[in-house]
Amino acid sequence: MEFLAQLPQNLVSGLLLGGMYALIGAGLALVFGVMDIVNMAHGAFIMVGMYTTFVLCTRLRLDPYLGLLVTAPLLFGVGMLLHRLLIERVAHASHMNQILLTLGLSVALVNLVQLIFTANYQQIRTSYSDAVIRLGSITMNVPYVISFALATGITLGLYYWLMHSEFGRALRATAQDPMAAQLMGVNVRRVQSVAFGLGMALAGAAGALLTPVYYLYPTVGANFGLKSFTMVVLGGMGSVVGAALGGVTLALAESVGQMLVGHELKDAIGFVVFLLVLLFKPAGLFGGQRA
Amino acid sequence: MTRWREAAIPLALAAAVLAVPLVVKNPYHLNVAILVLVWTTLGAAWNIVGGYAGQLSLGHAAFFGIGAYSLALTAHYWGWSPWAGMAMAVAVSVPLAAAIGAITFRLRGPYFVLGTLALAEVLRLVVLAWRDLTYGAAGIMVPEIFPGLSRAPYYYFIALAAIAAVGTTWWMERSGFGYYLTAIREDQETAESIGVNAAWYKNLALMISAAFTALTGAFYASHLMFIEPDIVLSEPVSVQMAVVAIIGGRGTVLGPLVGALLLVLASEIFRAQFQQAHLLIYGLLLMLTILFMPGGVLGEIQHRLRLRAAPRPVIGTTFSSSHESSGQREVG
Amino acid sequence: MRRALARLLAGALALALMAGCSSQPTGSPGPGGSGSQSGASTGPSGSGGSGSEDVIEIGVVTSLTGHEANFGEAQKRGYEIALEEINAAGGVLGKQLKLLWEDDASKPENAIAAVEKLATQTKVPLIIGAYSSAATLPAAQTATRYQVPFIVPTAAADNITQFGSKYVFRINSPSSQYARAVVDFLKEEVKPRTIAIVFENTNFGTSTAKAIQEHAQAAGFEVVAYEAYAKGAPDFKPMLNSLKAKNPDVVAFVSYLLDATLLMRQSREIDFNPKVYIGAGAGFSTPEFIREEGAGKDAEYTFSATLWTTDVKWKGAAEFARKFQERYGVEPAYHSAETHAALYLVKNVLERAGSLDRQAVRDALAATDMGPDETIFGPIKFDESGQNAHPMLVTQVQNGQYVTVWPREYASAAPILPTPPWSERK
Repeated sequence: MEFLAQLPQNLVSGLLLGGMYALIGAGLALVFGVMDIVNMAHGAFIMVGMYTTFVLCTRLRLDPYLGLLVTAPLLFGVGMLLHRLLIERVAHASHMNQILLTLGLSVALVNLVQLIFTANYQQIRTSYSDAVIRLGSITMNVPYVISFALATGITLGLYYWLMHSEFGRALRATAQDPMAAQLMGVNVRRVQSVAFGLGMALAGAAGALLTPVYYLYPTVGANFGLKSFTMVVLGGMGSVVGAALGGVTLALAESVGQMLVGHELKDAIGFVVFLLVLLFKPAGLFGGQRA
Repeated sequence: MTRWREAAIPLALAAAVLAVPLVVKNPYHLNVAILVLVWTTLGAAWNIVGGYAGQLSLGHAAFFGIGAYSLALTAHYWGWSPWAGMAMAVAVSVPLAAAIGAITFRLRGPYFVLGTLALAEVLRLVVLAWRDLTYGAAGIMVPEIFPGLSRAPYYYFIALAAIAAVGTTWWMERSGFGYYLTAIREDQETAESIGVNAAWYKNLALMISAAFTALTGAFYASHLMFIEPDIVLSEPVSVQMAVVAIIGGRGTVLGPLVGALLLVLASEIFRAQFQQAHLLIYGLLLMLTILFMPGGVLGEIQHRLRLRAAPRPVIGTTFSSSHESSGQREVG
Repeated sequence: MRRALARLLAGALALALMAGCSSQPTGSPGPGGSGSQSGASTGPSGSGGSGSEDVIEIGVVTSLTGHEANFGEAQKRGYEIALEEINAAGGVLGKQLKLLWEDDASKPENAIAAVEKLATQTKVPLIIGAYSSAATLPAAQTATRYQVPFIVPTAAADNITQFGSKYVFRINSPSSQYARAVVDFLKEEVKPRTIAIVFENTNFGTSTAKAIQEHAQAAGFEVVAYEAYAKGAPDFKPMLNSLKAKNPDVVAFVSYLLDATLLMRQSREIDFNPKVYIGAGAGFSTPEFIREEGAGKDAEYTFSATLWTTDVKWKGAAEFARKFQERYGVEPAYHSAETHAALYLVKNVLERAGSLDRQAVRDALAATDMGPDETIFGPIKFDESGQNAHPMLVTQVQNGQYVTVWPREYASAAPILPTPPWSERK
């Protein structure tokens, strides 16, 4: 009875968080699902997005949501650069080397940030941080609602763009068969760089949207690293929209599941789901078509 | 005769390792040497699965932690001696490895890596939450195996463990078992098609690896005298085991020793010299290794030597071999 | 291309090293933490190398890197201010004090190595350390093994003074004392029927929550909820909602800073109104918690058991707070006060021992009897187990300030009870 009474609030909380998870999942889906690069640094990228937003907000007094307009393009550029400098060199090597390289990158990024900002927990406050929307017994924190709306918008926009633009076609062609795409006149190297940059930009955007509702510390990305793979796997590997849905599903599962297993085991839910899906439904929950 | 000559160098090396306390009397230096050997043992144990069988586990903290908690809990609840606790650690880790193997070996490539990572995390969260049994994050005191002032007994114990673990890989390189594992690493389908029971050999490798890891975990717990889940079950423990073997040389006998020497000594020196930057350097080192010598230090040396000498039958191949799945090709 | 990349990475490495070196003396450039040039970590210039005759070296182990680095930094700042004061006033036994820093990188295995190094490679008469209980316990055991006196300034796990060592002396109160203070205060001032206990599943959180539960049951309160949460995952609404449904008189939190902030903010959002919110120190007792960037007005009326406040009456506390604020741009938390007091304890002990012999120093430590005005952390006197009976305080946030409200003899105001519901607050 108590469970049912609290269910609506938990569904809403989960859904709002799910918006951010969707962005995180979509970002990794581009890199891992589509480009087949196992990126262990995705969580660290989110962290970098959070700290970028934090700096813009505390030093330049830029509203975190406006900061998104700087953070995402900046991380896009950094992502392309990282692709050219590092990732490309292991794109054709074994997955193991990709894992180890990106793991090293993650360790380096986390500790670089710690060197600059210390390990202190930090957060930002805005004039609307405390604002709350009430719908009957359900309450929604305004920054959460804004973050959710923006995240959903970005995810849908990305999906539309991938399905209808020239680049989207080139990306899908490259993902299916880079050799054939190359022969058809696609600049494969460029497409791959852009895809990696986009993945990092989405991680950065998720970070920017999380900043007003979360807090930051150098290892915060670890909360999202393995989870982002769960989202991609839930969504059926190659599908960007699937991974976004996977993100929402995971957030809902955590939010509702913690009513049963408690807050401290909620992360275990995602990992167990991850293993079950891989073992029993490797095509993901939402089919296996490529976006 | 050749066998004896083959064994001469390893035996001499083992003797040299055991002789260290005769020369190094300073407890601090001896303690650093103990840490080097702890990580050598762990690296060598990881190497059996991650190096020879090519199954990159990032979940070995599960075995390490189970080993540590086996000793701690049997001592705490049943008053067992640490030695019995250590036997328990090994006894528990083998079936655990069989269970984990049964789940994760159904996954391939990156999914295996992520699967091991996920399982170890689930175990950490459960140990953390199961306060009635484990005291959770409050941690638990662990009895010493060698009470008393001298660190030397600890050194001899872990030296023997390291020799056993490295010796196991040395033996593997010369046995059918090691040959099968390498074949599975290079191409599992082909290996299976010529009748290698891949599932069995991978599981066997994991069980041996887990036993050494759990033994070291129990030793480490007793060396620390106190454990909590974040110390013995967390992801960085898994990562460091892999990194030791990889920087030293995956799939080489002495790679873990080289990796442990490099990382532990570098950590001690960097800690004093560069303070805040030492973990950053650690990450950069891993990146540089993968980019410029993916076979690790020893792998690179062997590779260079092999280029000079006549080609030999390939057992410890380098790790720049290309992708098993997907149709991607070199472009641009 | 390959070479260019190598050069780039080498450049990054060099840059990182430079950054590491340049940021090391002043520590963190955290928000507002501006401009201080001092903070050189090893005493006055010209004091020479380790073998020098005119300095006394003291071993200090703390977490300057790793996930506890922020607390290690707070400890370091307390040491630095005390060190400067002591040396400026003529040092100890006519010599200047010098601290030998050992970073444990927030890892217990390094804390052991650090103590072993200090115990055997140097002649330090004693060692102070570390930060976390996980690192301090093995460090204390190692110091005991080498018969080096070991002062614990911060670590709160009860068992640190319970393994029968004659060399371990703790200044701060263990976590069980936080729990006792929380429950005693509630018993005397609130008399609740039901209590909900919420804690972060870390070492301090878990052990303190367990002690609160035991004391609360002994005091006859009904524990209606006993909920752990994972650190670093700040979506507490589902958990708070289930607490709200149980309608407890008291909610007791054992939480670190940002969790404390979010717990209070989200409690307001869901309109959760127990009679009392009380924290067991940590996040509920930091200067940042009551500031606008922290919980701000949501912190109002919250109680907390604590070890130290900037307005506490012990001599020098206010001056220390002012000096700290001036230099680091933030108010000191109790970690800094603890390490400041630790160094004054060292001065006191060495002067009484009259030598740097470790046995003599141990005996002097055991005989310590410092009055309430001899350190900024109050009186120091150790019991048989080496535990200082540090008086616990309970504070309440009133008009945006921590005010001591319990025990009565230290109180500067009466507690405001019960906590007004969110809807009736401005």
